[in-house]
Amino acid sequence: MRLVAEKLCRSFGPRKIFGPLSFATSPGKVLGVAGANGSGKTTLVRTLVGLIRPSSGSVWLEDESLPASRISVRESNGSIGWCAPDLALYGELTPSENLEFFARVSGRPIPREEAERRIAEVGLDPKRLRTIRTRFLSTGQRQRIKLAYAVLGSPAVLFLDEPGSNLDEAGHRAVEAIVTAQRNRGSVVLATNDPLELALADERVTL
Amino acid sequence: MILRAAAAVFVKDLRTEWRTRVALNALLLFAFSVLILVGYAVGPTRLSLEDRPVVNSVLLWIVLFFSAMTGLSRAFVNEEETGTASALRLSAPPAAVFLGKLLSNLALLGVVMAFVVPLFLALMSFGIAAPGLFLAILVFGAIGLASASTFIAAIVAKTAAKGALFAVLATPLLLPPLVAAVTGTRVAATEPDLAAGLDAVRLLFAFDGIMITASFLLFDAVWRE
Repeated sequence: MRLVAEKLCRSFGPRKIFGPLSFATSPGKVLGVAGANGSGKTTLVRTLVGLIRPSSGSVWLEDESLPASRISVRESNGSIGWCAPDLALYGELTPSENLEFFARVSGRPIPREEAERRIAEVGLDPKRLRTIRTRFLSTGQRQRIKLAYAVLGSPAVLFLDEPGSNLDEAGHRAVEAIVTAQRNRGSVVLATNDPLELALADERVTL
Repeated sequence: MILRAAAAVFVKDLRTEWRTRVALNALLLFAFSVLILVGYAVGPTRLSLEDRPVVNSVLLWIVLFFSAMTGLSRAFVNEEETGTASALRLSAPPAAVFLGKLLSNLALLGVVMAFVVPLFLALMSFGIAAPGLFLAILVFGAIGLASASTFIAAIVAKTAAKGALFAVLATPLLLPPLVAAVTGTRVAATEPDLAAGLDAVRLLFAFDGIMITASFLLFDAVWRE
């Protein structure tokens, strides 16, 4: 599965945010989205995942073996994963309850043990977090839970917007591990200002 | 798939509400204050016997309506304010989100009704001649209030003036079922025959059916755009 954007533009009133942009992700590759603060990286990622409608142009998912098969990102049903600074999980639920909830509503329920395994994969101790609600976690811990949420459905395209924000060194290694693992099952769109994270990208779109 | 996802949204909402009790406390506190005020200011003895069914029916539904306005709009406002709406949009089918939110609002309203109605009947010495009809009016009235409130809450969740806009949109939409609920309650208080209030039950049933069907059809656009 690959993501294709064609002549993608987004404006808010008279203010043009980005575009026209045309690009495609390739399986096993990381597409970096670079740009200064306010250049529209987050808006581009939100447009790509289907949370914002583009002003013009289009974005779709297609099966590499069937290039004519266009699947709307909104109808992709678990083919994409997303982690961003403006994403929030339920503060009154524990981290594993959050992952179990999102797995259940997306039609792929997971048991508690699987949710805890996913939490351990991002470098947190699931046993210590069993009774702690997400709102009581530190910003960095919440960022790691968001990363676990992003890869929950083993997505074909993973969107990471500033994935290393608020993370310590171990957290940055967790991001690298997630990107490496994602190369084996699909592609990554990585929007960041961090030169070390951008170094993971094989191709680059600069805004 | 949709039913399971809706059940997950419903359970999640109940669990978070149980842990914070924000909406429940707001609803119950409001309902309790208004009940005390009504009981003190009007009371059972200040009304003539022939006025009691009409005035008490109106007062009961005013308490229930404004209680619903106080708490039920939180269904989607919370999701937008805390930033969880985006994750929910990407993960869950819109129909499941609406159904789950409708069920949790119905549960919340059910708790409020279980608290308000017996207290109101006792405080106002409000006798019911046809309990079956009264129960039907309460059930269908609650479904109407909850379905309209849930849908309007989704519309206003992203706006700046949520509270004002919620009341502006909800009031005209809920007037027909409220009139039917008041009429049905008055008939239930005075007529022991169940058939006497069937028109009100039919009107409420029709409103609920139209409201829920229209909400399911329109919710996708409201939720995603």
